[in-house]
Amino acid sequence: MGDQLARGEEFEKKAEKKLSGWGLFGSKHEDAAELFDKAANCFKLAKSWDKAGSTYVKIANCNLKLDSKHEAAQAYVDAAHCYKKTNTKEAISCLEQAVNMFCDIGRLSMAARYYKEIAELHESEQNIEQAIDFYEKAADFFQNEDVSTSANQCKQKVAQFAAQIEQYQKAIEIYEDIARQSLSNNLLKYGVKGHLLNAGICQLCKGDVVAITNALERYQEMDPTFSGTREYKLLADIASAIDEEDVTKFTDVVKEFDSMTPLDSWKTTLLLRVKEKLKAKEMEEDDLT
Amino acid sequence: MSEVFDGYERHYCELSANLTRSCASAGVLIGEQKKQKLSEIQAGLDDADTLIRKMDLEARSLQPSIKATLLAKLREYKNDLSNLKTDVKRLTSTDPYQDARDELLESGPADIAMVSVADQKGRLLMSTERLNQSTDRIKEGRRTMLETEELGVSILQDLHQQRQSLLHAHSTLHDVDDNIGRSKKILTTMSRRMNRNKMILWSVTGVLVLAILIILYFKLTP
Repeated sequence: MGDQLARGEEFEKKAEKKLSGWGLFGSKHEDAAELFDKAANCFKLAKSWDKAGSTYVKIANCNLKLDSKHEAAQAYVDAAHCYKKTNTKEAISCLEQAVNMFCDIGRLSMAARYYKEIAELHESEQNIEQAIDFYEKAADFFQNEDVSTSANQCKQKVAQFAAQIEQYQKAIEIYEDIARQSLSNNLLKYGVKGHLLNAGICQLCKGDVVAITNALERYQEMDPTFSGTREYKLLADIASAIDEEDVTKFTDVVKEFDSMTPLDSWKTTLLLRVKEKLKAKEMEEDDLT
Repeated sequence: MSEVFDGYERHYCELSANLTRSCASAGVLIGEQKKQKLSEIQAGLDDADTLIRKMDLEARSLQPSIKATLLAKLREYKNDLSNLKTDVKRLTSTDPYQDARDELLESGPADIAMVSVADQKGRLLMSTERLNQSTDRIKEGRRTMLETEELGVSILQDLHQQRQSLLHAHSTLHDVDDNIGRSKKILTTMSRRMNRNKMILWSVTGVLVLAILIILYFKLTP
């Protein structure tokens, strides 16, 4: 939309002039900010995200001079949304500045929400370490604001990524914690077996057979209905397959579970790791004998 | 003596084989040819009937030892014959509307041939297949149920989150309410102060003007 672009440029020029010229009653920053806002709108309509993003940043600067941190933070957030479409790094840096400002004003819940967004952006860029970092920060903030569901969601993501980069102990603790918390809640208790299954799979990846059996007993105590579920059966069967070092049994058990509910990619990756370990152990045994 | 019986037996076997074949072929025919075939089969059945009666008489006139075996065989043949008769009856009884249907659809009663698989083995295979199908369907149903359960769990989680958001909004609204009350008080204080200042300003102005007038008056009147 060429004319939108032209209109946007016009507004921007007017705003710049306002800034550089003398303003009566010292309202030049506010007027400039308003004009910049219109300009950014036109740029968004014209789909030139970069220009829109940079305009929003200018708005934020104006608002900072006016000492209205809230507006500035909001402008940074808008800038980040525009940059999301083109340049993720800029988006991340804008969001970080926004978060700092929100922390200053004390709007911790919004800060937490934007931390989560930053973490998601990192996740889409496959920076797992950074993503874990930001998800943890977000979970902390959510916890402080007593929004336990979002906190749990962020913690779940942390555990997922931790397991992916092989920090199994951390993942296990998080999953067990979430399971314990969900038990008392009427709405969430049906999801407990999913969390316990994830925790169990992480235990299996650690490869410590005694710990696994202890863990299964613990889960049994936590949730009396757990032993009747297919998840428990799967974990028990895999544990015994590891004990007997029988790869075919392992494959059979996993296939049976998969035929009922398809396994998602995270579980598949982890179970594959367990299988590799099992095969390696089998090979070792063969070498020794 | 049992030679006669054997002869009758052989004759009967041939006849029954013929009849089964004709029944099967009559099953796939339509219209006039079918009627012809059916009358042929009926004649064959009557022959078979007479043969069986003769065999019966023969068997009873023989010695008891052989009698038992022969009678057993005879019972089998009688069963076979009655089966054939029922088949023929089915073929004839479905005639009136079957003919018209066949002529309309031109498909021929190939389905009847499938249904009338009087074979033991065939029936067993069919029932096994049906059982397998039901097992598959049950498994599919269980899979769908588990999917639904998962969906339900995620819906519950969403509901929980929304509940928390609502509660949070509720408490925030209470805060907003309090703040509005406070700001109302502050505004009233501000307006009162403004009025007071205005009052003071006017009064001071009034006093000054009065003072100026008095001084002017004293100055101008020596």
